[in-house]
Amino acid sequence: MLVLLVLTAVTLITLDQRGAGGGLIGSARDSARDAIAPVQSAVDDAFRPIGNWWGGVSNGAALKSANARLRKQLADARSEARSAQPALRENEELKRLTQLSFTGGIPAVATQIISASPGNFEASVELDKGTDDGIAVGQPVVAGDGLVGRITSASKRRSTVLLLTDPASNVGVRLETGDAGVATGHAGSDLLTLDFVKPEVNVKKGQVVTTAGLQNAAFPAGLPVARVVSVEKTPGDLTQRITLRPLVSVGQLQFLDVLRWPQVLAVPPAAAAPQAG
Amino acid sequence: MIPQIRLGLLVVALVVAQVALFPHLRVDGVAPDLGLVTAVAVAYREGPNAGAVVGFSGGLLLDLFLRTPLGLSALSWAITGYVIGVLQGGMLRTSRWAAPLLGGLGGLLGGAVFVLIGGILGSEELVSSNSIRVVVIAAVYDAVLAPLVFLLVGWALHEPRTASRIRGGRWGA
Repeated sequence: MLVLLVLTAVTLITLDQRGAGGGLIGSARDSARDAIAPVQSAVDDAFRPIGNWWGGVSNGAALKSANARLRKQLADARSEARSAQPALRENEELKRLTQLSFTGGIPAVATQIISASPGNFEASVELDKGTDDGIAVGQPVVAGDGLVGRITSASKRRSTVLLLTDPASNVGVRLETGDAGVATGHAGSDLLTLDFVKPEVNVKKGQVVTTAGLQNAAFPAGLPVARVVSVEKTPGDLTQRITLRPLVSVGQLQFLDVLRWPQVLAVPPAAAAPQAG
Repeated sequence: MIPQIRLGLLVVALVVAQVALFPHLRVDGVAPDLGLVTAVAVAYREGPNAGAVVGFSGGLLLDLFLRTPLGLSALSWAITGYVIGVLQGGMLRTSRWAAPLLGGLGGLLGGAVFVLIGGILGSEELVSSNSIRVVVIAAVYDAVLAPLVFLLVGWALHEPRTASRIRGGRWGA
């Protein structure tokens, strides 16, 4: 029995990786996602407050500093009507999306997040719009503070965003000094590493890195990506060990903009290949 | 309703919960593998073949919602279900620690197999020190939820006392 199951699984994996079953497997995946989308949407609405509470409980280390910050915010917010807060937050988020200064007038499709990936080794979110709304694979996705990721698959009414923190995400970025590097995600981590930065480059904590926008890049130049949180230099190493925190924390957002950036690179649906920024 | 249908519905319900609910209930960015724990629970009660079949089915269902190759979770969970089914033969079956112990062990084994096979098949980014952290946290989460899943599987597979049952008989040799 096990041998039969293993052979079946290996056949499916091979078909999926070679793209031989692309049509069939892709359709099956799209159908499954479309079928469960209403359930995900309903559960998302119901459990978002619980999820936010749970996020606070499970991130105990960050809770103290967040607590101090939140106390101040709470004092400022007392004057606002409690019931209006969710609407105000959504309004603010949408307003910021319509006033993005860093996109340079690139047309955008406003979308809403339906759900996050159930997998532990990937970081992606599903959006409520797809190819019918002009979304295509490879397009950059942004929020009020900067780059979020890029579209890796799109059906007629849904699309998937590969987030910066996904282990398959590699974004070419530029430091304030003008030096370039590659920001890479890691499984189950909110942080990125910045690779290929030479030891002599002066990198400071707090610096913001932006998309490099090299020739044939997957992203337009100048989109804010992340902030430097730590820099380690080891004598003898050819590069520095730099850690970044993305400027956008997708867990707290509901709305994202998909930029209709000209697609130069042919990006495979599986998004397994690294991308140049 | 016959036990296999109840179990099938339970597997679907738990995978849907994993897809729709547990992304909101992550611990340090990590969610549990409910389908994997279900396979472990079935393997504990019914033996290796049943564990492998349920692991394969649940894994394949989850694969539809993942970006990793279709069949990778199915393969990992089928192997885990089978191995746990083989191991459970030597366990003290009345132990109240059986569920969390096997849930955690299954989580570790399933996660490790997923990462290793994924790495071999070209997803090199899966093989990293961070993946070890993810697998360990997921295994602990699986262990915590295992008693509940074992209870649900016990309900799904419950048969009237009069029905004779031979271990592994209804899942093929």
